[in-house]
Amino acid sequence: MRDALRRDLRTIRWSAWLGWQMESNWTNPLLFLVYSIVKPVFGTFILVFMFVIILGDVATDPVLFSYMYVGNAFYMFVAQVMFGVAYVVQEDRERFKTLKQVYIAPISFFLYVVGRALSKMAVTALAVVITLVFGVMALDVAVDLGQTAWLMFGIGLFIGLACICTIGVALAGVTFLTARHSSGINEGIAGLFYLFCGVVYPITVLPQWAQNIGLAIPITYWLELMRRSLVPSMDFSEMSGLGEYSDLSILLFLTLSSMAFLILSIGIFKYADHLARKKGKLDMNSTY
Amino acid sequence: MRYAIEVDHVTRVFGGKGDKVHAKALDDISLQVDEGELFGLLGPNGAGKTTLIKILATLLLPSEGSVRVLGHDVVKEYNKIRARINMVSGGEISGYGLLTVRENLWMFSQFYGIPPKVARQRMDDLLERFGLLDKADAKVRTISTGQKQKMNVIRGFVTDPDLIYLDEPTLGLDVNASLAIRSFLRKWVKDTPGKTMLLTTHYMVEADELCDRVAIIDQGRILACDSPSNLKRMLKRATTFDIETTAFPGLDSMPSMDGLQGYNSKSVGDRALTRFVVNDEAVISEIISHISSKGGRIIALGKSEATLEDVFIHLVGRGLE
Amino acid sequence: MDWLLNLRAVKGRAYPRAVGGLREPSWMFFDTLLPLLGIAAFVFYYQALGAPEVYTGYVIIGGAMTAYWLNVLWSMATQFYWEKETGNLELYMMAPMSKMSVLAGMALGGMILTSVRAVSTIVLGVIIFQVEMDISSPGLLAAVFITTLIALYGLGMLFSSLYMLWGRGAWHMSNLMQEPIYLVSGFYFPVREIGFYFALGAAIIPITLGLDAMRQLLFGNETQGLLPVTTELALLLVSAVAFIVAAHFALKKMEYLGRKEGRLTMRWQ
Repeated sequence: MRDALRRDLRTIRWSAWLGWQMESNWTNPLLFLVYSIVKPVFGTFILVFMFVIILGDVATDPVLFSYMYVGNAFYMFVAQVMFGVAYVVQEDRERFKTLKQVYIAPISFFLYVVGRALSKMAVTALAVVITLVFGVMALDVAVDLGQTAWLMFGIGLFIGLACICTIGVALAGVTFLTARHSSGINEGIAGLFYLFCGVVYPITVLPQWAQNIGLAIPITYWLELMRRSLVPSMDFSEMSGLGEYSDLSILLFLTLSSMAFLILSIGIFKYADHLARKKGKLDMNSTY
Repeated sequence: MRYAIEVDHVTRVFGGKGDKVHAKALDDISLQVDEGELFGLLGPNGAGKTTLIKILATLLLPSEGSVRVLGHDVVKEYNKIRARINMVSGGEISGYGLLTVRENLWMFSQFYGIPPKVARQRMDDLLERFGLLDKADAKVRTISTGQKQKMNVIRGFVTDPDLIYLDEPTLGLDVNASLAIRSFLRKWVKDTPGKTMLLTTHYMVEADELCDRVAIIDQGRILACDSPSNLKRMLKRATTFDIETTAFPGLDSMPSMDGLQGYNSKSVGDRALTRFVVNDEAVISEIISHISSKGGRIIALGKSEATLEDVFIHLVGRGLE
Repeated sequence: MDWLLNLRAVKGRAYPRAVGGLREPSWMFFDTLLPLLGIAAFVFYYQALGAPEVYTGYVIIGGAMTAYWLNVLWSMATQFYWEKETGNLELYMMAPMSKMSVLAGMALGGMILTSVRAVSTIVLGVIIFQVEMDISSPGLLAAVFITTLIALYGLGMLFSSLYMLWGRGAWHMSNLMQEPIYLVSGFYFPVREIGFYFALGAAIIPITLGLDAMRQLLFGNETQGLLPVTTELALLLVSAVAFIVAAHFALKKMEYLGRKEGRLTMRWQ
């Protein structure tokens, strides 16, 4: 038992190290830093621009602006990790052709992908922090660390990131079965959460059926908790559609839905894994 | 006689930044291949075979020296060369996995401007000769490694090149697939006089069986170049002994002895099979006593016919594998 | 130049792009339905902000053109690098056709494949969000659209040539360009909103002018364009020629460098 645990931890550690090497060793550290920041920050600028074009100024509706800004910052984890792990499978399979070798090694492939996702997460964390700092300093986003409920924030952050990781692994499983398309997985699955989880707009904007979907996804509760923790001075309850629930209730919903997603993710991964072996897709070459 | 390939004092270095030379893949080599010849390049991994092929295939420039292919300079007149050559590498799967075998072949034929009707005819003919006709409409990613390599070989010949480079074409294939490819190559050279083939391999039998002439290359230098029979005649004074022993320590590090030119050992289970090339048979008793002193026991000993491998051992002092 | 050889090469390379891409059924899910989710999110964002309805149309058109931009970045710009990794590049290089034909074939095949996605985005977007468009100048609209694609894929050919010798840097460069271009080219809002001169600078990316002209043509007076449509069309024509000529020279230079340095066949950089 202890040996198995030690082996699993070693798998995560080494695959995280491998992920980090592959993320960062193509260029010098400064360029890597710029690269890691430019992409997500520009993504945020688009939203800020859209906001300003329609409402004239970020101060016109500071609650909605903070709602959008913080939600979008934390959503970077979702987009980057989802895309990152799906790419792990494609890259290992078709470029480095190492998927087979890693797959048959006496380690958990599930944990191998988790390890690779962790390195992606570390890089993304930097971009999230920089985006938030920029928001506070230049755009008056009302993050107030003095008032932050750190315990709630810490627990919520951990559960949310773990949940993103496991959804990412499920996606990696699906990627076993799919061809290398231009960039569909990246914008696609991430788009699903972007649409339904109240990332940049409250879910109340959506039709009722879409709101129900959003309420079944842990990301919705995670982003709500992150907003409430970091921007305690603003009251999102009127717009978020989750105003009637206390922080603890949100944390509970997050935990429960994350556990459901964990089970679902493991199921999807295992089924996709089985299908991939059944259909002989582990070493597929799908370029065109 | 016109030359299909003329390599004149060619050196190729792969450098780091500035003046630092990281590796000298080819070191002042010269050779000529006649039109219509099946020429073999024999050498271990890293000998420089693939580098030479890449230069001949217009993919790489020589650092020094000059190379002419089908009468044209590879540096300046590469456009005139490309339409008349092709290349097949072993262990590489070109093309796209989502396309069928026929579609992949068709695509590459179009890069050579082959009229579609002619391309189709040639494809069908070659697919049939390789026994691949029933897989013609299968997606490439669904066929076996041997079938993929056969497709790869067909790709090289579908453009009907005047000169073809085959870089380890049977690498990693089973006996049947290798035989099919070899027999096709032999027939192609016989049926199409004037067409030239350059084959690199580290399978001695393949080179011995197929090639009109063979150049033995090691560490970027050509050590000998002649017909397989002439090369073997180099060993006239030398004799080859195969000795089977129990495994013993120091199998790979025989001390130098007068009369011992080289040797190559292979372990098979708890036994070792060693081939010794000697130019003085008296050294055999010294070899036997060395084996005994190291704890090895002689199981069988026999004299054998010289092969290209013996030539290689004779020239390099060690085996190919 | 042997035109017949090169036309055959274009056809040869376009085929796997257009047909191979559609052959794997997963494209339908990944390339049509999923992108629509992201587009819908931007539509709802505008609704949350209380934006005029025409902005929904802007997003739909921007989203459709996103498909081409992504195709240029991921399946054109980085393609030679990917071909190198899979072992095809050396076979392309030693074949007698102009390498521009391979690029043109990739572009043509990519355009056909991507058009399926772009059209499905527009159709679904129009149906779901009830967007009204005014197609009163179909000829001009088609001219703008086609010229935009030629210029855009010309840019993709240039990128592909420049990236040929790069390792993973090429991939990362494409990744780096994706979002900033969404912003400065006005994928989700009229480009004039970022400021006239800034937008003029962004016009180096053909999609900036193409999108602006198409929005002017489709949404009429409600759209304040950057420049008159005919001027934008003329500029697009110039950039189409410029990018294709630049790609030709870049390709020649890179091929020479690749042969000299031995990087045409070097993998896993």
